[in-house]
Amino acid sequence: MDRHTEEKLFRVLMIASLLIVVGSLFAVIAVVVMNGVSALSISMITQTPKGGYYLGKEGGILNAIVGSLYLAAGSMLLALLVSLPAALALQREYIGKSKAAYYVRLSLDVLWGTPSIVYGAFGFTVMLYLGMRASLLGGIIVLALLQMPIMIRTMDEVIKLVSVELKEASYTLGATRLETTAGVVVRQALPGIVTAALLAFGRGIGDAASILLTTGYTDRIPSSLFDPAASLPLAVFFQLGTPFPEVQQRAYASALILLVIVLALSMLSRAMSKKFMRNIIR
Amino acid sequence: MKTHINVQNLNAFYGEHQALRNISVEIPEKQITAIIGPSGCGKSTFLKCLNRLIDLTEGVRVSGKILVDGTDVLDRGIEITEVRRKMGLLPQRPNPLPMSIYDNVAYGLRIHGTRDRKALNEKVEHYLKIAGLWDEVKDRLRSPAAKLSIGQQQRLCLARGLAVEPEIILCDEPTSALDPLSSQHIEQQLLKLSERYTIVIVTHNIHQAMRLADYVVHFYLGEVVEHGEASEVLENPKDERTRAYINGTFLTQIKIDTEVNLKGNKCPFNFVYAKQALHNLEPGKVMRVIVDDPMAVTEVPRGMEADGHKVLNVKQINSTDWAIVIQK
Repeated sequence: MDRHTEEKLFRVLMIASLLIVVGSLFAVIAVVVMNGVSALSISMITQTPKGGYYLGKEGGILNAIVGSLYLAAGSMLLALLVSLPAALALQREYIGKSKAAYYVRLSLDVLWGTPSIVYGAFGFTVMLYLGMRASLLGGIIVLALLQMPIMIRTMDEVIKLVSVELKEASYTLGATRLETTAGVVVRQALPGIVTAALLAFGRGIGDAASILLTTGYTDRIPSSLFDPAASLPLAVFFQLGTPFPEVQQRAYASALILLVIVLALSMLSRAMSKKFMRNIIR
Repeated sequence: MKTHINVQNLNAFYGEHQALRNISVEIPEKQITAIIGPSGCGKSTFLKCLNRLIDLTEGVRVSGKILVDGTDVLDRGIEITEVRRKMGLLPQRPNPLPMSIYDNVAYGLRIHGTRDRKALNEKVEHYLKIAGLWDEVKDRLRSPAAKLSIGQQQRLCLARGLAVEPEIILCDEPTSALDPLSSQHIEQQLLKLSERYTIVIVTHNIHQAMRLADYVVHFYLGEVVEHGEASEVLENPKDERTRAYINGTFLTQIKIDTEVNLKGNKCPFNFVYAKQALHNLEPGKVMRVIVDDPMAVTEVPRGMEADGHKVLNVKQINSTDWAIVIQK
């Protein structure tokens, strides 16, 4: 094969790979829209289900929307609170290139790959031991645990990229490690940190297995952290599992709503990243 | 002449490699001290020892004493942030912070406790004026520092460094990334600033050292081979290595007696032709040879030195051609 044909062949292969990826996104959207759009109505997003456990074929899934947003936002904030300092601690200014940092990174990578049902089972066991009932709080904590490895490792990688020269600039002005880290490093890495947080949010809003046992399910909107809460992935799961075609259609409509929330979020992050990128030094 | 920085027996090791050997030198107050020497001779390492930025580099051991106003900078017990505040650093490439122009200058002020908005405004304006940047940025103080040109960024770094009111300004080849006009601008600022600050400037550029320096330190392979008044060291160096270094960089001013174009010739023919051409010259005369064979770049100078001639300079002049200057 001559070099020219090689070139062409690889070009075709690369474009084909891209088409598979983008095409599957559109296929997912198409299936969800085709099956769910007829069941979509304004009441879907403004009412809680009528007739227990989504079986009434009426009302909406407001309980699941609110529950999912509570869960995802709550867990993201909680995870962020722990992950940012943890990611900073992994940098060379702190534990850096020590053996400890190596093992911390290794265990985070293992945690990242741990199936979420394992987190759910773990959370459930601890909650049983503590005598806690399935609740929003339990779900938020378990989801935060699930998100932390993702956040810490993603932030770790972006913070590592902040150049030494930039840190030197801060140190030469007489800044301490903390001032340099908080004032310069975090600012420079901000777009990456926001991406890490949103990645974790996406994981949080889409995960079903970990909250199945810890948050439970309900038709009501939770009024406190100690109430059980509904969630969109479980709403899809339960409705799709019924033998009634109308309810199954409503499952697709719920999936569509979940998809819209995720898409809107990533659009928002794109729009916001411009603002975050403004001051970045290249 | 009062000594501001007194360096005694400074040694620095990167692992096994000794980057600085027994450096002892006194840097005078409120003058410009130029540190000259070829690449890799330890100039930058020396500068980084002065404000202990070397701490950020892994696997470095430093010993000796660096006394600034009676405090040993290398003493682990001292408050290093205070030492660093006293020494501004102007880096090789400008490194603005990821924030607005205003915040870049205010950053140091804020960490050292200036919170009052009015005081901040005044100081930011004052130091931007000193650095000669105010007129260019006064209408866009809130825009990102990264948007400035490289030359403007370097002046911003100067303003930022001056804002924390240092006593010493360290410059690590501060104009090497700048265009000639911006370089000139920075040089002028440094000359003005030398009335009030002790300035240490690392430079590759002998001309720059001549224009700026009151005092010159010549580093070679991690050692100080000569130091003294600029006029003495630069015009009448005592050390052979200093003389060679200064002559090498002064080459543009050396009179070329004959020029031979050997482009298109391969080794060893270009060497043979160069030898023939040199044969016709009187001893002491200088010949410039242009070659485009990559092998000739190393082989011709080596052969000439082996024959007892002196190779003054080897320099790439464009993408394919090299000039080799030989003295018979």
